[in-house]
Amino acid sequence: MEYNGGSVIAMVGKDCVAIASDLRFGNQALGIASNFQRIFPVTDRTYVGLAGLGTDVTTLRERFRYRVNMYTIKEERDIEPQTFAHLVSSTLYEHRFGPYFVEPVIAGLENTSSGSKPFIAAADLIGCLNFAKDFVVAGTASSKLYGLAEGLWEPDLGPEDLFETISQTLLNGVDRDAFSGWGAVVHVITKDRVVTRTLKGRMD
Amino acid sequence: MDHFPTNWGRPRNDMFDAYGTYPIHQRPDNRPKDTFADSVQRTQQPIVTGTSVLAIKFKDGIMMAADNLASYGSLARFKDVQRLHPVGRYTVIGAGGDMSDFQHIQHILEEVQIAESTQQDGHELGPVEIHEYMSQVMYARRSKLDPLWNSLLIGGFKDGKRFLSYVDLLGTTYSASTLATGFGAYIAQPLLRKAVEGHEDDLTAEQAQNILEYCMRVLFYRDARSLDKYQIATITAEGVNISGSLKLQTSWDFAENIRGYGAQTQ
Amino acid sequence: MSSFNPYTQNGGTILAIAGADFSVVAGDTRQSEGYNIQTRYAPKVFRLTDRAVLAVNGFAADGNMFVKKVKQRLEWYRHAHAKDMPLRSIARLIQTMLYSRRFFPYYVYNILGGIEEDGSGAVYSFDPVGSYERETCRAAGPAQSLLQPFLDNQIYFKNQQPAPGMSHPTHLPLQAVLALVIDSFTSATERHIEVGDGLEMYIILGKGRGLQGLEGVKGVQELTISEDGERIFVVRRELKKD
Repeated sequence: MEYNGGSVIAMVGKDCVAIASDLRFGNQALGIASNFQRIFPVTDRTYVGLAGLGTDVTTLRERFRYRVNMYTIKEERDIEPQTFAHLVSSTLYEHRFGPYFVEPVIAGLENTSSGSKPFIAAADLIGCLNFAKDFVVAGTASSKLYGLAEGLWEPDLGPEDLFETISQTLLNGVDRDAFSGWGAVVHVITKDRVVTRTLKGRMD
Repeated sequence: MDHFPTNWGRPRNDMFDAYGTYPIHQRPDNRPKDTFADSVQRTQQPIVTGTSVLAIKFKDGIMMAADNLASYGSLARFKDVQRLHPVGRYTVIGAGGDMSDFQHIQHILEEVQIAESTQQDGHELGPVEIHEYMSQVMYARRSKLDPLWNSLLIGGFKDGKRFLSYVDLLGTTYSASTLATGFGAYIAQPLLRKAVEGHEDDLTAEQAQNILEYCMRVLFYRDARSLDKYQIATITAEGVNISGSLKLQTSWDFAENIRGYGAQTQ
Repeated sequence: MSSFNPYTQNGGTILAIAGADFSVVAGDTRQSEGYNIQTRYAPKVFRLTDRAVLAVNGFAADGNMFVKKVKQRLEWYRHAHAKDMPLRSIARLIQTMLYSRRFFPYYVYNILGGIEEDGSGAVYSFDPVGSYERETCRAAGPAQSLLQPFLDNQIYFKNQQPAPGMSHPTHLPLQAVLALVIDSFTSATERHIEVGDGLEMYIILGKGRGLQGLEGVKGVQELTISEDGERIFVVRRELKKD
């Protein structure tokens, strides 16, 4: 899990969610790419981030894309984030005894009768789901992200404040991790739009 | 002429440092050497062992409990062993782990007490001193990689103050109002904490005895290396009192309902 | 037969932050071994002199013995030199004491905090064999990876741009530092099983620099006797016990 490096974090705000990751892709200590995308849109309101082995990140992106497309065709509607989380879980558990070395993080807005409800979830490499109410972290910098998020997060942050909070958590967390960093990207999802920003951070 | 009081009466090497000019931590150690010091005595494994020891603080002092069993692996070898040992008028030391090492500890504690009493200065060794001494001894042995393989609880009452502490084969020490070694740490400690924490100053001797008896019973049910015969030591302002052996009342009726156990024949 | 292991880990976490003319050294009070809590109150932070406080974390038996030995060396120094050892000298002393056991180390991470001879707040952190450095803030122990990045952000203002024309303060005031320490430990308690039960904070104030708001802090206790020299205070707080 530490071969390529990289970390992902998602946080809940007031009627919004944010998901962010670093951009490093390395071969152990050697950094190779600083533009490695590990967060992908599932629908316009749901995003998934995959931390862990790079080849599995790419493969799972394709596998999820296929399964979500089949869902959309059959159901004639977009998949809800919670349903997608279970899709992730079952996909990973299929490989219980020869797993994909990834730790997925899911962030999105659920369509409920009372409007859009923020949703985040994370899973381990064999599909055990964690439905947190505040934040979820994954990757080589996870322990640093836990400490920072626990200190900086508070409930009911608006989209701008949530952006600042998740950015500071991510940036300071990856700066203490040799295998994460080399750039960062943040997606803030609200019911009208998704704002994607690339952060200026340390490149060492 | 040596001006430093800390050098007077100490072995001195006139060739090397006649006037004690070296800082204390660099002075040569010229005491007679132990001839057998280099014969390799290393890592051991405990052979004849005692299991849990429990202890709590209560209103008037300390109460400690331990069963009377010394096991030889899975064999319940010696069923009348005293694992609670009084030290002077104020302290009781309870031991789990290797019983031969505990017998050695009893011996060195006796020597220490004799040395103290020959000073004839009116000072007596209390639980604080015994604990400090044992901590140093246990840590020193672990630092020679030749440990005394024990977990010790040291409890006492002196000058109006209760004392209860733990020391083990690594020299780890800690203190709390409820302590338990071995299996007791997993099974009895949660029960003791629930009953005692916050009530150390209200708990009566009878209540203390009841909670210890309850824990000893649970341990007998669940610890495969335990015995239903045990002793309780009580240390208060009145001094040390180690009870005679007490028998645990247990009920094994539930076995009747399980196929293959009890008196059933299927 | 497996070999006797002379070490174990006793959990817990320590943290020290230096101000302009004060220093805070804090540690939780839980001592554990594996999944067992050995005790809810076992101090890890100790007063050495009126201007030096040492926090030790790692293997508790080594930690407690090491503190004893340091205190003894300081007492010998006091007899030989008729004064307390200055902080940077204590730091160097700790290095040599740790390195003397280079091939059977004291398994402890030390953090020394206090007031230097020039009146500035100082924090020195060590590894188990004596490598050391003076810093503004340092966390050590199992929750180090949770606390240090938070401190980087809140104390050094890393990854934060000051408002145009302004700059970040180089040192924070005492009340702000105490709040950060408490928040750090409540965060670590949430996410790390070995941290919890209680928090003990030692505050060392420079000579003649006033109480800096300490009189308003609940439960504050003074350890020093006179008001003339450096002063040391202790504050205890509860942490979650689960």
